[in-house]
Amino acid sequence: MSGDELLSNHLQELRRGTVVLACLLILRQPNYGYALLEDLDRNGFAVDANTLYPLLRRLEKQGLLVSDWNTDEARPRKFYRTSPEGDAMAGALTRDWDSLDQAFRALKGQQS
Amino acid sequence: MTATLTDRYVTATVTRLPEARRADIERELRASIADAVDRRVDAGEDATAAEYAVLRDLGDPARLAAGYADSPQHLIGPAYFLDYTRLLKTLAAIVLPAVAGAVALAQVLGGAKVGTIIGTSISSVITTAMHLFFWVTIGFVAIERGGVRNPLTGQDWTPDALPDGTAPSRRARFGELIATTALSVVFVVALLISPYASPVRDAAGDPVGPLDPWLWDTGAVYAFAALVLIGLVTRYLRFYLRWQLSRALVILLVDLAGAAALIAAGATSHLLNPAFAEALGWAPVAVEWTHRGMMIAGVIVAITSLVEAYTDYRRRGVTAA
Repeated sequence: MSGDELLSNHLQELRRGTVVLACLLILRQPNYGYALLEDLDRNGFAVDANTLYPLLRRLEKQGLLVSDWNTDEARPRKFYRTSPEGDAMAGALTRDWDSLDQAFRALKGQQS
Repeated sequence: MTATLTDRYVTATVTRLPEARRADIERELRASIADAVDRRVDAGEDATAAEYAVLRDLGDPARLAAGYADSPQHLIGPAYFLDYTRLLKTLAAIVLPAVAGAVALAQVLGGAKVGTIIGTSISSVITTAMHLFFWVTIGFVAIERGGVRNPLTGQDWTPDALPDGTAPSRRARFGELIATTALSVVFVVALLISPYASPVRDAAGDPVGPLDPWLWDTGAVYAFAALVLIGLVTRYLRFYLRWQLSRALVILLVDLAGAAALIAAGATSHLLNPAFAEALGWAPVAVEWTHRGMMIAGVIVAITSLVEAYTDYRRRGVTAA
């Protein structure tokens, strides 16, 4: 395994859960698959389309997102938005992220 | 009109999904692909090239479909993988040579030609290997899927479940399991081929089996072989699954049924072939004692099963309760 590959594996591990949190936060405003992908990308969360689309379905099944088909336009799109349960989950995950961030800062502060 | 690349991509993805979910996922996937293509075309790309690039970025439809699927994407996961490969290797190392030896021996006794002996042995080893692989795999897949508690993630595991040092180690129990397997397989094979492979001949030179032909006429011998094999399966359940009262009772019943069959056959003098005893010149009292010996063996099997079930209950049932 080359160094690049090793790095990308570890980065993938590190980021795995962050996409979920980013989705739950962004989707407090209803949005559809492709636009969400671009939104995430613009906000610094690089995620592959083939990871995101199935993920949205899983979060919906878990009740963290709800969806509606919008057929007003020529191209029907499935709009997702964060449910109250999803909002609560986002709150819990954010708190955990913050405490991890603090823990990392403390760790680095001790060493310098 | 021929199908577009997108059509082919969407079809390749949704045909891997459960029927009920296809329509909705297809509709969304088509919209997502079209959105992405539009974005590239707006940026000045040629429509065909844009479609090609979008699908390439989405990647292998099999991978995408796997993402949509909820079920596990493996037959035997990490919880059982080591047990699975170890059992397969050990069984292959023991059962295959045993089968080859037994088949070759039967052929030699039956007076077959060297070529036939080698050919039959090889083909029976291949058949046995396939069965071994198939059934062991099926067994572990059933354990994996069957909602049986996974020992690696078992949430209600406590240190109390650790072996206490007085109970036989897992390694020793595994050795016992493999020995039982080898014995059972050799026993069943010997049982089934005994009428054809017997060294004792009648006046016409045909083999005289040591066991009563009544057992074959009534099919009892197959029932008995099945009981032995089912008993063997229960040994595996006992080894790989946690103790559970209902399961322990079924296992005990199977063991007792085997013992009862042995006792019944002995009691009704339906074990030894009279012609076999006659050919060897046994006195009637020897025949009688052989049957009594079988009954005693049946009683011993029954007692051992009861004792085993009881110690299992004391050792694991009490901590599991």
